[in-house]
Amino acid sequence: MRSPNIAGRTYTLMVWTPILPGREEDLRSTLDGLDRTRSPLLRVPRTHMARWLIVAGMPVPPGTKAQDPLGGPFLLFTSNFDGDVDSYLHELCELMADEAAAIWSHCVGCPRPPEGAALKAYLHRNQVDAGFTFAAYRDASVQQIRTALDKRERLIDFAVRAQDMEPATRRTAFLEEFGSA
Amino acid sequence: MSEDRQLELADIQGDILRAYGNAYDHTSYAFVHIDCPPEQARAWFSGLLGHVTTAEPWAQKPLTTLNVALTASGLAALGVSDAAIGSFADEFRQGMAARAQLLGDAGPSAPQEWEPGLGTGAAHVLLTINAQEAEDHHRALGRMKAAMRHAGGVRVVSQVDAQLLPGAREHFGFADGFAQPAIAGATEDKVPGGGVPEKRGRWRPLAAGEFILGYPDEDSNVDRHRRLPSAPRAPLGRNGTYMVWRKLHQDVALWRRTIRAAAERYPLGDAEKLAAKVVGRWHDGTPLETHPDGRDPSFDASAYGANDFRYGDDPDGRRCPLGAHIRRSNPRDALGNEGKLSLRHRMIRRGMPYGPPLPDGRLDDDGADRGLVFVSFQASIFRQFEGVQTPWINDGNIFGLGTDKDFLLGDHSGSGKMTIQGRKPFFLTPQETFVVTRGGEYLFVPGLSALQAIADGAAG
Repeated sequence: MRSPNIAGRTYTLMVWTPILPGREEDLRSTLDGLDRTRSPLLRVPRTHMARWLIVAGMPVPPGTKAQDPLGGPFLLFTSNFDGDVDSYLHELCELMADEAAAIWSHCVGCPRPPEGAALKAYLHRNQVDAGFTFAAYRDASVQQIRTALDKRERLIDFAVRAQDMEPATRRTAFLEEFGSA
Repeated sequence: MSEDRQLELADIQGDILRAYGNAYDHTSYAFVHIDCPPEQARAWFSGLLGHVTTAEPWAQKPLTTLNVALTASGLAALGVSDAAIGSFADEFRQGMAARAQLLGDAGPSAPQEWEPGLGTGAAHVLLTINAQEAEDHHRALGRMKAAMRHAGGVRVVSQVDAQLLPGAREHFGFADGFAQPAIAGATEDKVPGGGVPEKRGRWRPLAAGEFILGYPDEDSNVDRHRRLPSAPRAPLGRNGTYMVWRKLHQDVALWRRTIRAAAERYPLGDAEKLAAKVVGRWHDGTPLETHPDGRDPSFDASAYGANDFRYGDDPDGRRCPLGAHIRRSNPRDALGNEGKLSLRHRMIRRGMPYGPPLPDGRLDDDGADRGLVFVSFQASIFRQFEGVQTPWINDGNIFGLGTDKDFLLGDHSGSGKMTIQGRKPFFLTPQETFVVTRGGEYLFVPGLSALQAIADGAAG
């Protein structure tokens, strides 16, 4: 049967781990402290988009005696990436080892030390199948998207620059810019 | 639940749901700083309350009106507890200056460049005074300042005097402020073009809770439990709303020079048409969507149905460009799904121009400070004001326009452009810094009973 986590050539990973009692704020600080301008995920370059989300609890209907079915806060990690999940988790644990350790060490059942094959196995064990997968670009790799965006920017710059040119000049300029692209 | 509850007009401040009208062509915005204990400040604040104008219909027009709004630091200065302030929306508590990066207030618009008294936490209470005549206006300002002197410990740290320009135009020359959301139970006369676009050309009004707290909003109306939107805790939230206030300087000479120079290269029309393409309307307000080739001499902005148009038949922006100012700020049905992606991002706007107009035809800056005081009212600053400003005005991705920003509001990097769609598209460049933020605040406009509770020290 086809995996529910696959859309086109991208894979959707979802990892759902309970947060240790009393550690929600520490985890929040760890996540807040991640470099926003140079994300650690850049070191795992086949990531399309990934995020960590603290789910503080599940709202229950007002005026009822229902209890929060989650029983405590959880950490949700989702990632859209190229390729298979096994090698991706390996890269995650190796290429951004410090951040991965700092984040998941706040979670129940995380191995000590939180690193390497043990951490990878922990993440694998807590993987949840996606109920619905969405990929903005199903059939293009991160590298292909970057190349296409770069080409798009160059084309726009060219179009703006060339709008007042005579056709022959424009043709020459186009070939100069894109002839070998 | 109270979904059919009538709006409590006597408890809602005036000028929110319905404008006072162009007869009130003098407006002052005075930000007051409280530099005394809360009890002393509340004595001064109490004295204001008998003069606050409500949303009740008038038997006759008052000579002047007064409205009161507070910043988060203002609530604290009046002795409202941290716990009560904690029940207000995060973005309000942070304040506009803290949101500068998200709002695109960078470079000359950055908070460190703002005018004194704004964006520093010093602005506590905003008093808005409207008047029909200059004399009444001066008298009302005099009364306000005398009351402050008498009370002691309170002073004005920033004041902007605004005045309607002839023809209700803003400084770039466009009719402004007449397109407003149609609100159930309040402004249903604005439904065609102001409401939510539905099938077969029909429109419906927006839920009042999108603009006034304590009433069902669009989410309540599709919620099985009919839950009301979150609001500051009682007695503060009821009949109140959030307010965005921004002083936006306009460089009129730069705007005119840029459009004039670009029009020389524009093959499909003159400077007037190019300017209309940027805005989405001709100078008199005629929508480009209905009149792409020239203004409609019979256009009346106040007429029923004056804004009754959609973008669905113009998906390529041939009539009204995809990045035109009015198409970005209220995309109507342009994002598909019968307007469902835009209906939660509507605002009531009550802006006023300030400063003298630049004489017609003048192309060099005369150094005068002029621009627009932008004012919007909404139940959620994050969802409504910021939800328009950040992804729709300051970016183009959702409209298929890459990183293009709203051309009219300008680009501090100077590298921006606007694409005017057509059989042969025209690229409008350079995008200069036409508009600079000189200061701003996020405020809350309490209902009358909430104002009283604050004045009594009973707001919690």
